[in-house]
Amino acid sequence: MKTPLFKLLLAASLAVLASLFLPTASAQTAAKDKIAVVVSTLNNPWFVVLGETAKARAVELGYDATIFDSQNDTAKEAANFENIIAGGYKAILFNPTDANGSIASVLKAKAAGIPVFCIDREINATNAATSQMLSDSYSGCVKLGQYFVKTVGKEGEYAELLGIVGDNNTWNRSKGFHSVVDRYPGLKMVAQQSGEFDRAKGLEVMESILQAHPNIKAVFCGNDAMAMGAYQALVTANKADVVKVFGFDGADDVVKLIAEGKIAATGMQFPKLMARQAAEYADSYVKGKRDFAQKIPVPVELVTQQNVSKYGDYGKK
Amino acid sequence: MRALRWISFMVVLAGLAWRFPLFHVVPLQQAVAEKKAATFDPTQFAGTFWTNRLLASLDKAVSATVLLPAIQSDPAAAKKQFARSVGMGESYFYFVAGIGRVVSVSDDEILLAVTATGTNADISLPAGPVFGNALRDSTSLLNVSDYPNSQDFNDISAALNHLVETTVLPTLRVQAKVGAQLSFAGCAEVADESSDLKPLHVVPVMTRLLPNL
Repeated sequence: MKTPLFKLLLAASLAVLASLFLPTASAQTAAKDKIAVVVSTLNNPWFVVLGETAKARAVELGYDATIFDSQNDTAKEAANFENIIAGGYKAILFNPTDANGSIASVLKAKAAGIPVFCIDREINATNAATSQMLSDSYSGCVKLGQYFVKTVGKEGEYAELLGIVGDNNTWNRSKGFHSVVDRYPGLKMVAQQSGEFDRAKGLEVMESILQAHPNIKAVFCGNDAMAMGAYQALVTANKADVVKVFGFDGADDVVKLIAEGKIAATGMQFPKLMARQAAEYADSYVKGKRDFAQKIPVPVELVTQQNVSKYGDYGKK
Repeated sequence: MRALRWISFMVVLAGLAWRFPLFHVVPLQQAVAEKKAATFDPTQFAGTFWTNRLLASLDKAVSATVLLPAIQSDPAAAKKQFARSVGMGESYFYFVAGIGRVVSVSDDEILLAVTATGTNADISLPAGPVFGNALRDSTSLLNVSDYPNSQDFNDISAALNHLVETTVLPTLRVQAKVGAQLSFAGCAEVADESSDLKPLHVVPVMTRLLPNL
């Protein structure tokens, strides 16, 4: 009698222990789904905000999220995609390095059954990514161009710092700006060079432009990192008061300088809005949604001294 | 025997080369023509779009006598009922048509009063350069998702604006005398619901001088 009773008690104890520990064990074995955030570069605060926001939103939605830095290099980006495909990720939130050069990586992910949601920058394909949330750079720079003419005037020399030559945003911004400014023959662009969307490069290029063209009245920069570099070069050359700087992005340091009257204007993109939306789309995809618009433009708003109080923290207050 | 193996190998190799050629020889003229055909021509596209689709859809434009009172009474409700939005932003577009009387002409704009006895400007038509995407985005005729490279889509805007400047505005500047009656149809872009829409800035697709009553 004693032995069966002991066995019964032992079995009951084990059952209680199992009921206590099994949920934890199953939770440990059922690991969270993973989402990859691939960012063109983390060497620019704007993209850090984009990547961190996408990651944070994915984590809020219950995923393990990891950021991959492509270092503005399509080869590095392709290697990141290989690792992501091999790593069993459920979705990729992707800020591409090159509109054409990044297509192959997206197609590989698609072939592996992993949806890709492009953020901010596009790829030149409509059959690869699941959806693309794109800053409407062209329209934003049309507004900047109109403000440029209003504040600089219809005559004078100016310079332009382009972004990365292979990136569509570089040309969408430049074309939007020139679609306005080129209508005024008195405004003469005396220098147009790439600062590669980089602050240090922007500073270096601006220094050489100032030496060759000391009479410029303004500089239009394809992003705020280059605008900060250009502004720094102007301060060093004691020309910050006479040369107007126009940026694009809506980076916090530039917005602060606009409020102080040191930079003329920027185009506010909404990196947090785009990043969060991309994470939410990825979550919807994982849960079964399939009908996504291929391209979703996100308007850019003009930030000047007149309305700067409405903006900050990479968006509208 | 060895020669037979060699011949068989060469035959197989020749067959593979025929089936899967390592390169194709294309006549230079054909290559140039193919490249040209593959390049998007925004000017040509905009011209065809303007004639065949935009002008053909003017009957879809909302009447100014309906839209303008609706905007004055409740901008949010007017937006919901008559506007088109694109993407995730706050801006939206109206495709509008009507008849107005010219109340003012300047180098920058031509102002119209839409009500019969009104003297206030309800509609502003540009007299100078046209910028923005109102013409491209006010109707549902063009969709960015159809364009792999958004530069092409943006070039359409520039080409459409150029068409307005070269085909509509020269005639409008001649027609626009204070007191003249004009029939018009066009597209308006609104930044957000807090925008001042008195007057509503419309990029004209068509204007026609009407006999004064």
